[in-house]
Amino acid sequence: MDINNKKILICDDSVLARKQLKDAVNEVASGAVYLEGKNGIEAVELYKAEKPDLVFMDIVMPEKDGNEALSEIRAFDNDAVIIIVSSVGTQEQLKKAIQLGAKDFIQKPFEKNQIKEIIELRLGGK
Amino acid sequence: MFTQFLGNYLLQKGIVTQEQLFHAMSRLSQTHIKLGTIAIHEGLMTANEVDECLYIQTREDKRFGEIAVERGYLTDQQVADLLSKQTPDYILLGQTLVEDNVITYEDLERIIFEYKGDTELYDLELDIENNEAVYSIIENFFLLAEMPVKTENVMYLELMFNSLIRFIGEDFTPLSPMVLEEYPITFGVSQSIFSNMDYITHIDCDRDTAVGFASRYAKEDFQEFNEYVIAALEDFLNLHNGLFIVNISNEQANTSIALAPPEITEEGVLIGTNKCVDFPVAYPFGTIHLIICY
Repeated sequence: MDINNKKILICDDSVLARKQLKDAVNEVASGAVYLEGKNGIEAVELYKAEKPDLVFMDIVMPEKDGNEALSEIRAFDNDAVIIIVSSVGTQEQLKKAIQLGAKDFIQKPFEKNQIKEIIELRLGGK
Repeated sequence: MFTQFLGNYLLQKGIVTQEQLFHAMSRLSQTHIKLGTIAIHEGLMTANEVDECLYIQTREDKRFGEIAVERGYLTDQQVADLLSKQTPDYILLGQTLVEDNVITYEDLERIIFEYKGDTELYDLELDIENNEAVYSIIENFFLLAEMPVKTENVMYLELMFNSLIRFIGEDFTPLSPMVLEEYPITFGVSQSIFSNMDYITHIDCDRDTAVGFASRYAKEDFQEFNEYVIAALEDFLNLHNGLFIVNISNEQANTSIALAPPEITEEGVLIGTNKCVDFPVAYPFGTIHLIICY
């Protein structure tokens, strides 16, 4: 699938998780432009500056967590497409992420198929 | 999970060396359980009878079951029953050690008997998911470590062993835990869990072991100690602790529990408000230390 020049923001404090997400996206689609943040503050700044087409966001991060960043990004852009990718999935946190406007939730460790479905659903028709 | 516990038991008793154990563990996935081994486990044949049938098998082109029936050790029905029986995975470890000439079938017969007695586990036949039995063995680890046997503590360690099996591999042996006032760090990652009681969890190992651990976790062949290796350790601990707090919040709805982001710790000492317990786990690529300070 060609997703030429679509901007994908990957926000995770783990450099390995960011690499694995990029690898997974690259396997199913080509041409994406990646932006990387390692905490919630960077996520919000990068979003405002670059207006990416899709955001993958971890929940537990230093400085500012994923849910706080999610809330700030949605306040800035109500159409932001944010997918939570996290190992922490308590009912409470999930409910909060959905209430804050997350479009989907992927539990770590993720399968490449899950990333493929997200890319097709969220960027395929654009 | 009984394979790992039996490994620990055999090491503690000095029946096998770590090297012999790792060699056997690494071959488990390619080994199949044999009828004679199941028959010993079920108490239907003695080790001597099994040895006798195996000896005959080397001279006659017959199946083990046929020979055992001919010699009157088993009936046709018993052979059919044994073939359809689900045996606990730890028996396979015993058999592999016999095949490696580390122990004999006679030793295995005695070990099974003593292991069941020492761990007070008499009904391991259908135990693949026997939670009570696993709980009881893990409880023992806490008693050894003089750590309070609280449900959360046992849940934590049980989940850790499951996480290791799931994300790193089942070829490990938990070694005996140690209680420490403080733990000198080699290299590792720490993560605090905030609950009604705060814990510091930590995974510690040398750098070569970290490379082996990370390669398995990330399913990539890392050749050197680098940022991805460090991140893999952080991710594993974060993932495991994440699963733990999900379990706790599902079971104890009123418990408020949260995680701090994982931190890399390359030097210094870990000190808990009370004590630190080191649960070492030996893999063929090295030993990792799971430290809990509370």
